[in-house]
Amino acid sequence: MNELNDMPLVYDDILTSGPEVHFQGSHCPSCEAYQFPSQDICPACLGETEKADMGKRATIHSVTTIRTKAPLGLPSPYSVAYVDMEDVPFRMFALMDPKEAGNYYIGQKVELSVGPLGVNNDNQACLRPYFSPRASSRT
Amino acid sequence: MVAIIGTGIIPFGRHLERSIVAMSMDATIAALEDAQIPKETIGACYFANALGDMLFGDSAIGQNLTAAMGMKKIPVVNVENACTSGSTAYYLARNAILAGECEVALVVGSEKMCVPDFGLINSGATELDTLLGMVTPAGFALRAQRHMHDYGTTPEQMAMVAAKSRAHASLNPIAQFRDKETIEQILEGPMIADPFTRSQCCPIADGAAALILASDEFAAKYDRAISIKTAVLTSGFYENPTDLVHWETDYYAANLAYEKAGIGADEIDLVECHDAFTLSEILHYEALGLCEEGQGGQFVAAGHASLGGATPVNVSGGLLSRGHPIAATGVAQIVELVTQLRHEAGDRQVEGCQTALAHCMGGDKMGDTKSCTITVLLK
Repeated sequence: MNELNDMPLVYDDILTSGPEVHFQGSHCPSCEAYQFPSQDICPACLGETEKADMGKRATIHSVTTIRTKAPLGLPSPYSVAYVDMEDVPFRMFALMDPKEAGNYYIGQKVELSVGPLGVNNDNQACLRPYFSPRASSRT
Repeated sequence: MVAIIGTGIIPFGRHLERSIVAMSMDATIAALEDAQIPKETIGACYFANALGDMLFGDSAIGQNLTAAMGMKKIPVVNVENACTSGSTAYYLARNAILAGECEVALVVGSEKMCVPDFGLINSGATELDTLLGMVTPAGFALRAQRHMHDYGTTPEQMAMVAAKSRAHASLNPIAQFRDKETIEQILEGPMIADPFTRSQCCPIADGAAALILASDEFAAKYDRAISIKTAVLTSGFYENPTDLVHWETDYYAANLAYEKAGIGADEIDLVECHDAFTLSEILHYEALGLCEEGQGGQFVAAGHASLGGATPVNVSGGLLSRGHPIAATGVAQIVELVTQLRHEAGDRQVEGCQTALAHCMGGDKMGDTKSCTITVLLK
C-alpha cells in the first residue's frame, strides 16, 4: 500500500480515516442536512457542521456510460451514476468501476472502493473513489 | 415596458479566421441597420462571452467591441453566466431601461470555441463532480436514463427531437447543420454518452447575435417593435436528493415567467428552448407546461413541437442544429422569436404567432442547473 499512500487523492477530505473506505461529508446538527463534499457552514441554516461518515454502500438511481474520449486520463468507456447512499439520506454523483463500464443498471447495489485511476488537474496519477457491484449483487 | 427594435445575427458554424470582436461587430452593425438608428443612440452595452478568458486569455471584451465601433464612454457590462450569458445580458439590459438608466441598449453575444482538442465541456475543473468524470453530456444522459425508466421514453422519441431540429434548420439560412437526418441515421451515429448519439448533442460553434432594446417611448414610432412582457433569471435549488426527471428549477422558472407575464402555457404560440441534448428539450416541454409531466416523448413523436404543430419548438433548429456558440445562443433565440413575431421568417414562419417564449439554461451544479432564463415576447 506504500505507493498508494504516496499517490494523492483526487480531492481532499472526502474519505474517512477508518480501515474501510467510507465517504466523509458533513452534517448539520441543527437542521439534519448532509453535505458532500463537506462544507463548514450549512447552506440550509448557516450553522456549523460536523464531520459525517456517509458509509460505503449505495444503490444506483441512474447510470450512463461515456463512450467518447475520456477526460483526466480516465479509461474509455467509463460509467458514472447518481447513487443513493444507504447509511445517510444523500444522493451523490459517482464514478463507477471502469472494469464494469456499460454493465450497470438502475437499482443495482454497489460499494465504494478507492484506487489509482486517471490523473488530477496537475496531470499526476492519483487515487479516485469509485463504486463497484457489491459481491451479493452478482448472485 | 421595454421593446426590441433591432436584431442582427451571423451564420453559426466554424469561423476559424474570425475573432470574437469581428463576429460581434457584424452582428451589431446588422442590428443597428435593422433598427435604423445611428450608433450614437446606444446608451449602454451588455456584452456576453463565456469562454474568451479560458481559451484565449481575453477579458473585458465588450469594450473591445465598443471601441472598435467608436461607441464612446457608454457603460459596458461584460456578462458570463454559462449558456445563459447572452440571455442574462438581455435581462440586465432590460432592467437598465426599466430603471431609467438608458433609453436604448445594445445586447451582444459572441463566442469563438472551434479550437483543436476542445473536448467535452464541464462545469468547473476543480469541482469534485468534474474530477470524478462528470461532463455535461453525462449529466443529461443520467436524466435521460431515469426518464426512460420512469416514463418509458424511447430512444426513437429522443431521436425525433434531433430529426425535427434538422428539418427545421434546413429552413434557416444561418443554422450550422442544415442537412435533414432520419431517426434511423440519428440512432446509428457514434454514441457519446448512453443514450445520446452524436446528433443528439449540441455541437460547438462560433457565432454572434445582437439585439437593440428600447424604452416603450422610444420604440413607439417603430411598427416592427416587439414587446417584452417579462424576463426572469433564476438559479438552481441545489437540494438533495436531486430529482432528475421533475426538474424543480425548470418548473419554478416557467411558473415565475407565466405569473409575471400574466399568461398560461396554452397562450404560447412558439418556443425557443435550451435543447442542449434531445432529452433536455423533452424535459422543457414538460416544465413549460406544453404537455403533462412524463409525456414529452409522446408530445414530440406526435408532431406537436414541429412547425405546423400545436406549439412549435426550436423552429430555428435550436442548439442542436442552429449551433451553440455559448454566449450567442441566448441572444440568437430572441432574434429568432422577434423575426417570427414580425412575420419575417419566410419558409419557417409560424403562422399567426403573437406570443413567444425563449428559455435558456446554463451550467451544472449538484445535479441542477446554475442559471435559467425565460422571456415572453408579444407582437
